[in-house]
Amino acid sequence: MRVKLVYSPEVVEKSVLAEVILKTGVPINILEAKVNAQKGELVISIPATGKTLEKILGMFKDAGVTAQKFTKILQIDYDKCTSCGACISPCPTKALRFKPDWTLEFDEEKCVACRTCVTACPVRAITVL
Amino acid sequence: MSENEKTETIRSVEEINEKIRRGDAVVLTAEEMIKLVESSGVEVAAKEVDVVTSGTFGAMCSSGVFLNFGHSDPPIRMTQCWLNDVPIYKGLAAVDGYLGATALSETLGLEYGGGHVIEDLVSGKEIELRAESYGTDCYPRRHIETVITIDDLNQAVLLNPRNCYQRYDAATNSTDRVLYTYMGTLLPNYGNISFSGAGQLNPLCKDPNYETLGIGTRIFLGGGTGYIIGEGTQHSPSGGFGSLMVKGDLKQMNARYLRGSAFYRYGVSLYVGVGIPIPIINQKVASTAAVRDEDIFVSIRDYGVPSRPDLRPVVKKVSYSELRSGRVEIKGKDVPSSSLSSYKMAEEISEVLKKRIQEGSFFLTSPVENLPSQRVVKPLVIKRKELRVSDVMRTKVITANPDDDVKEVAKKLVEKGIDHLPVVDETKTLIGIVTSWDLARALASGKGRLAEIMTKRVITALQNESVDVVARRMAKHNISGVPVVDEENRVAGIVTTDDISKKLVGGRTTI
Repeated sequence: MRVKLVYSPEVVEKSVLAEVILKTGVPINILEAKVNAQKGELVISIPATGKTLEKILGMFKDAGVTAQKFTKILQIDYDKCTSCGACISPCPTKALRFKPDWTLEFDEEKCVACRTCVTACPVRAITVL
Repeated sequence: MSENEKTETIRSVEEINEKIRRGDAVVLTAEEMIKLVESSGVEVAAKEVDVVTSGTFGAMCSSGVFLNFGHSDPPIRMTQCWLNDVPIYKGLAAVDGYLGATALSETLGLEYGGGHVIEDLVSGKEIELRAESYGTDCYPRRHIETVITIDDLNQAVLLNPRNCYQRYDAATNSTDRVLYTYMGTLLPNYGNISFSGAGQLNPLCKDPNYETLGIGTRIFLGGGTGYIIGEGTQHSPSGGFGSLMVKGDLKQMNARYLRGSAFYRYGVSLYVGVGIPIPIINQKVASTAAVRDEDIFVSIRDYGVPSRPDLRPVVKKVSYSELRSGRVEIKGKDVPSSSLSSYKMAEEISEVLKKRIQEGSFFLTSPVENLPSQRVVKPLVIKRKELRVSDVMRTKVITANPDDDVKEVAKKLVEKGIDHLPVVDETKTLIGIVTSWDLARALASGKGRLAEIMTKRVITALQNESVDVVARRMAKHNISGVPVVDEENRVAGIVTTDDISKKLVGGRTTI
């Protein structure tokens, strides 16, 4: 499950994420981080489901950090996409590939939102949400 | 079967057109032809099939549109003209111009250009027209600012000097940095392979001997109808790299098959859809029309070496079938490969063309004149002497060792009045570099040995490299000097921006 954490100025200096990892033992992965003195935004991947996931989300909430579930990371505009393939080999996690009929296919589970494909696309059909 | 029997005419283009008129021509896409030849053999296929349709859809930079705007009142002899801030060529009559696909927007830079304007024109969008002039007695107006659509233009003729390359060498990158090229994003350390071309669907791969294609051949171009008007620029059929010059009426085209594109940190281009019908006039043409991806080979070249395309080192020779499989082995490593051109769209174009012929809305033509089938492309030879690194570098290089003391080295730099100090091991192999700035910081923080503070990823130059290339490299990395190394990475000299500027006099070089 991918989650976007938004830290308010009051909690941005607290080690909320580290405490959640230590307390739950779940190896949460940071995919993207934008932190400064006023605000923090992290995109994390939580390798957990069900009760454990809910517990982790609850811990963030209690610590004053807003946790938004990512339902979609990449958006491919298939009206623009020509299925050329320019995004496929630069993708470091092989989240983009061809279907047997040579149209582009995106595997959400593998994507780490690195944005390599966004600039690799010659017709700018890919946006990261 | 003898060579004579293979080239014996089975059917003429006129006979094929008669069958199209009657609605009983046998038309196959190139993919279907391949399957038929595999299952029934080339003799049967040659007898049964009248036409094979090909297709390709890729970035074709040598593309553009001739435009005529019509005269305003009072009239203007446009000397400069922009469409959506993209400059067009105005060295023609008063209101004629040529919009090239790779021209860049003067406001949006690398993200919008000629290719996008062409797509927007074909889509029927409004385009901002701006023009300037010096004013003459017959053309008094000096300025125009208005909007136009494709319908306002008298003519909009797509005329592409080089389209439809028979095949194209693939690209990879041996360096430790990402490269942004016209072949797309190339990841470091052979991280990926990018290729282009429709392979077994590619028109020129289907008639590589130019038996049926020539000047006057009617083709599918950008969704409309176009014509081959000659060999493409850099046409190089002898090496299997033929190309075509084509034209067609932009007003009848479709933006699905003409797409503006932007290659990150490189520039803009136009994806063009081209489809060519191959009349199966004899058995030889039937067999070339059935050529498969596994029979068409290209080189994978290292774009990490900033040389002209044919001098970039060949890493491996591969078939389109290997490239299209998505992985190619390079130096024992499985490297992902993907295309820049769309195979899906190439398939679609071959299908659309097939349908048009079957419906009787597209007839074949015999060439008015053949295209050269023997020709090689020449490079541009620089006849004036150019500055090389060896002309400007200093060969008396002061170097240091990783175990040297920071204070001692700082003293040396001050005494000799230099800013860059290559760090070498006992075999004089370059292992790092320190600058006066690094030393100032090291002294301030009390670091002791050079090895602790040196930069290990050193930007270098080779002796035979052009100074222009090295100057760009220094600007790109925001540095003021580079060690010059030999093939074994041993220090042979050093060159700084100071050395280069001292050699440049009056804007050009003295040697």
